[in-house]
Amino acid sequence: MISIRRLLTRRLLGTTLGLLALGLTALLALACHAVVHQFDLALRTKALAISTVAVVTADSVRVEFSDRFLRGFDDKRPRDFFQLWLPNGTTLARSESLGDATLPHRLGTYEAPVYFLCTLPTGRPGRGMGFVFKPKQINGINRPVEVELVVATDREDLDETLLQLAGLAAGCGILLLGATVWVVPRVLRRGLAPLDRLGEQAAGIEASSLAARFPVGDLPEELQPIGLRLNDLLARLQQSFERERRFSSDLAHELRTPIAELRSLAECAIKWPETRDTTTDTDVLAIARHMEGLTTRMLSLVRSENNHSSTPTEMVALMPFAEETWKPFIERAAAKSLKVKITLAPLKAAADPVLLRSILTNLFDNAVEYAPAAGEICINLESNADIFFRVTNRAENLETSDVAKLFDPLWRKEAARSGGQHFGLGLSLARTFATAMNWTLGAHLDEQRNLSLILTNVPAMRDKALEVPGENSSLPTSDRKTAPGHSPQPTPAP
Amino acid sequence: MRVLFVEDSPRLQKSVGTALRKSGYAVDLAGDGEEGLWLALSHDYDVLVLDIMLPKRDGLSLLAELRRKERMVHVLLLTARDTVLDRVQGLQAGADDYLVKPFALEELLARVQALGRRAYGTKRPRLVVGELEIDTGARSVQRNGQSVELTAREYLLLEYLARRRGEVVSRTEIEAHIYDDQVDPMSNVVDSAICNLRKRLGAAGETGLIHTRRGLGYILVETTPASSAP
Repeated sequence: MISIRRLLTRRLLGTTLGLLALGLTALLALACHAVVHQFDLALRTKALAISTVAVVTADSVRVEFSDRFLRGFDDKRPRDFFQLWLPNGTTLARSESLGDATLPHRLGTYEAPVYFLCTLPTGRPGRGMGFVFKPKQINGINRPVEVELVVATDREDLDETLLQLAGLAAGCGILLLGATVWVVPRVLRRGLAPLDRLGEQAAGIEASSLAARFPVGDLPEELQPIGLRLNDLLARLQQSFERERRFSSDLAHELRTPIAELRSLAECAIKWPETRDTTTDTDVLAIARHMEGLTTRMLSLVRSENNHSSTPTEMVALMPFAEETWKPFIERAAAKSLKVKITLAPLKAAADPVLLRSILTNLFDNAVEYAPAAGEICINLESNADIFFRVTNRAENLETSDVAKLFDPLWRKEAARSGGQHFGLGLSLARTFATAMNWTLGAHLDEQRNLSLILTNVPAMRDKALEVPGENSSLPTSDRKTAPGHSPQPTPAP
Repeated sequence: MRVLFVEDSPRLQKSVGTALRKSGYAVDLAGDGEEGLWLALSHDYDVLVLDIMLPKRDGLSLLAELRRKERMVHVLLLTARDTVLDRVQGLQAGADDYLVKPFALEELLARVQALGRRAYGTKRPRLVVGELEIDTGARSVQRNGQSVELTAREYLLLEYLARRRGEVVSRTEIEAHIYDDQVDPMSNVVDSAICNLRKRLGAAGETGLIHTRRGLGYILVETTPASSAP
């Protein structure tokens, strides 16, 4: 498994140590160069001093030099050496420390002497320099003579200094290496602590703790988007779990209560046969019918949800279809003294007539059932870009937050679920049927608590043939309006 | 014992109510939370059988209100909710027991009986008063080793008096715990029940057990108190 911390630790350590090695090496090189440069300057100074003691005489070149002139050139502690040559190769002079030995004859110019490493006559390592110069001329002699000079000196101190520098650099390197190895993982651990905390919090989330949220404000800027997304995900999960829990609870109630009724009725009748009367059988039948209805609807819902393929559709004249579907509700609406306003445009759309009838029946049934007595129901069939049915009734008890749950299976506003006629499955089924026809079914609750259930067909298609001006509705019990261009013909509900 | 059954299903009200009555309990019924709360606050019930999902006021809120008003009636929650969380919530709200629908009537009756026993501070299913022995589990009575046949209501009356043996129990208390609201408070149903009970017990033993304290009520004791009249 990839670990960000391990990966970062490896890469940071590798990079830091590489840079460290490079820096130390460069520093060491610069220091060595400076030390060698200083050493060479000293060597050149000695060489220049020696060059000044060579003078041109009338017939030769004379070296006015004593070995005691410079310490180190004597033979007591031989550290420095020089040798002067005439251009013909004849040794003009040499240091006492050189004895009979000869220095390497490597020469540069006066301005650009040649520096080189060599082995001294003492057998020790040394560094030398050589150049050709013109000795000073005295007494007005003007004879161009060149003298070759090589000066060498013991480089033991130089080597020792360079070694110390290298040791210092290595020591610093080891120290920095250790510090880096110690510091980097800790810095990373500290830096990645918010990520660890986020991970721990995420690991602690269970089905029972979905209400918890990540403290986004406390997270570093880089993790805040993750925290926000996780919180969104948690909210959706919580919503989903609550829906499932509500569904399970509602289903348990819908199934357990009639079974409990049936069982207690039966046990009572068996234990105390004298308590059994005709109402017992009626009750048993009613319970059986209730459970049959529930089972049928549940199966329909499951089948509809499992059938993902679209239902074959045909062109349906919606206005007469809606009028036909409304007819069975006229009596019930009248019994509740409901005022029904129907405004239907002569439209045609692709739909499955069976499913469409089922959807409209459900919408009309809900409207008649839940509209307050003597209230109003509005049924509209309109079209702008889309064709849509809108069934509106007043819903006093409904809250805005309930609208999202309207289509949840088995959801009922009344938590007690006392009414035996409804299961809370109708709108779920209606929405599933709408989806199967490529229609949509939504709900809207306005500020006056008017609930509108809106069935929409997106690819609108007006049926020009049906736009017959002055066409009357066959509905005798509703306030009916025709589409734009048609004069409304209100008829009071009986 | 007097039981209040709060349930919105009329069919369950009918069957469970019948079963409780047949078992000798005085039963009052309520169809919603508000009515149930009103009844529970107005009467001194021994056991309250309470549905959770009720119209007007849910069972848990009813229970919380009862406990807030220091009503210590023993409560059996009867509900379709069966998750651990639901049970925990119900018991934490102050319920004494929890039964999930669907249920066996026998189990419901046994639980109501157990809660009724708890209402009188005993867990023993056998009550002994002198030569009288009552098996509350089997709902049977023996005196001097002889079985005494009692109706359900007579049995409950005897059990109630036995649970409060040595105490004077008023007619009002007996009415409240043994009879439901359908009994006319002006009737002499308690006196005639006591009379019948004495006859039944008298047939099985020689000395009287139930004594009348004039103007106060009845008392069940082992020996005849000097001041009592048979």
